[in-house]
Amino acid sequence: MTSLTAIHGVVARDLLRTMRQKSRLLGGVVRPLMWLLLVGTGFNAIAHVGGGISYQEFVYPGIVVMAALFGAMLMAISTVYDREFGVLRLMLASPAGVGAVLTGRVIAAALVGLLQGAVVLVLAPLFLAISAGQLLAAAGALALGSLVSAVLGLLVAARLRSVENFAGVINVVLFPLLFVSGALYPSALMPPPLRVVAQINPVTYQVDLIRHALGQQAEFSVATDVIVLGGVALVLFVVTRLLFDPEQRFMVRRSSHSAAG
Amino acid sequence: MTGSVPAIHTERLARHYGSRRALENLNLQVAPGALVGLLGPNGAGKTTAMLLLATLLTPTHGTALIFGHDATRNRRAVRRRLGLVFQESSVDGLLTVRENLLFAARLTGMSGRAAHENIAEAMERNGLTAHSATPARQLSGGWRRLLDITRATLHRPDLLILDEPTVGLDPEHRDMVWSLLAAQRRLQGTTILFSTHYLVEAESADLVVLLSAGQVVASDTPAALRSTIGQEVAEIEGPGAEKLAAALRGLGAAGAGVRTERGLRIGLRGSREAVVELAGSAPGIERFALRPATLEDVYFARTR
Repeated sequence: MTSLTAIHGVVARDLLRTMRQKSRLLGGVVRPLMWLLLVGTGFNAIAHVGGGISYQEFVYPGIVVMAALFGAMLMAISTVYDREFGVLRLMLASPAGVGAVLTGRVIAAALVGLLQGAVVLVLAPLFLAISAGQLLAAAGALALGSLVSAVLGLLVAARLRSVENFAGVINVVLFPLLFVSGALYPSALMPPPLRVVAQINPVTYQVDLIRHALGQQAEFSVATDVIVLGGVALVLFVVTRLLFDPEQRFMVRRSSHSAAG
Repeated sequence: MTGSVPAIHTERLARHYGSRRALENLNLQVAPGALVGLLGPNGAGKTTAMLLLATLLTPTHGTALIFGHDATRNRRAVRRRLGLVFQESSVDGLLTVRENLLFAARLTGMSGRAAHENIAEAMERNGLTAHSATPARQLSGGWRRLLDITRATLHRPDLLILDEPTVGLDPEHRDMVWSLLAAQRRLQGTTILFSTHYLVEAESADLVVLLSAGQVVASDTPAALRSTIGQEVAEIEGPGAEKLAAALRGLGAAGAGVRTERGLRIGLRGSREAVVELAGSAPGIERFALRPATLEDVYFARTR
């Protein structure tokens, strides 16, 4: 019960913080829409992706994933911020412990990812011929994908001690995840080494599952996508938990600041 | 509430960081409801000791029991009875005062009506009600610190650990902090362990533990510690200070002494009159003053 209440506390706080950073939320929605409208429109004329669909139609699932991926992964900055400014210690010293804190963090980040992806997704009928059922299925796929993105973000944040470091590292992680996923161009067009990378990239399966939901040609089966995404979320959460050793964080923090009293 | 089990019991508690011994052989026995001051220079091991007792560090060796619960093996039970105030404020600037407290309440397992009632009562008690809807980033350092303490005591902990709770505060807020802590002890019987560099704050403690380079160099009541210096302390300044000190030692009237920027501070034993007479006739003395011994004298005598 203590853990559930603590998880609730962490989720509520993270969502409140996010809602008060409106420019960040707005940017998270505008970025993918700009990509869709500016890049998508331009590429419509020159890119032929096969399957009888335009580039804009092809890229739509990828843009939905982009919105959720950025939204969920960038939420991990809260963890780095809390570590840098002392709130994390307070959380880790609570009876619920590190597992509850991380669970709350993942849920909050997944919800923000889902929200940002959903804003793009609800505009899909303007660009794609899809049914309400397909839209709902895509929302389900988006929820699972956002969960994976949330854990990925937390994994990146697990060992970082400053917000500046996080900002530098997250971009190096985010863009390859997106570019080598089949979100922006078909993975069939990638050179063989990149195709291998795409196959071990969890974002590939997020995009693939949404293509299934929206009735587009997909590379893997629905079962494969769901199993891979569920498995990746679970394994990465365990890895994050192991990396997120609260004691080691204090040891590094204290020795680096030479402030132990 | 706490029975006869010690609030804190440590045996040979130690923490090493590689070859650096941040804390060594801390043996501590604290009765429930006691006020304990941890003193020592920066790097003495105060924060390390507090983090060990707060379950946030694992000892290299030794044990720490908090109300009978092992701080390493039964962290959850210890944390339920613990309130923590860190050196740096743990307040979220984007949240209001009330939201910060609600977040803290939920972290300790409080929810629903109980949480809201506790928060309202705590804000009222600590003078925060008028600030309840204020974003924490708009609070002054003093109010943030009061919010920190309110947050740490919201769940009525049996042991409150505060790492330099008054650092950087003006005298008015320092006074408010100590009033809150006194009320916490009086009303809840809370055991309080704090560190400070304002040594006068430790004068009212039941036990003072003085650390230096990771070792306990003195541990007793403030009165007992002061008595180790002498009945009084002589402050001697001028080129003849060393000679006078030597003469006092010759008389057997000088105890522990330390060199300061301007001269010497020496604890005195025995006849006051003999000392005053000797000082009055000593050459090269620009200033000679007697005053009661303080914890600061103990601090300098034991840590230099």
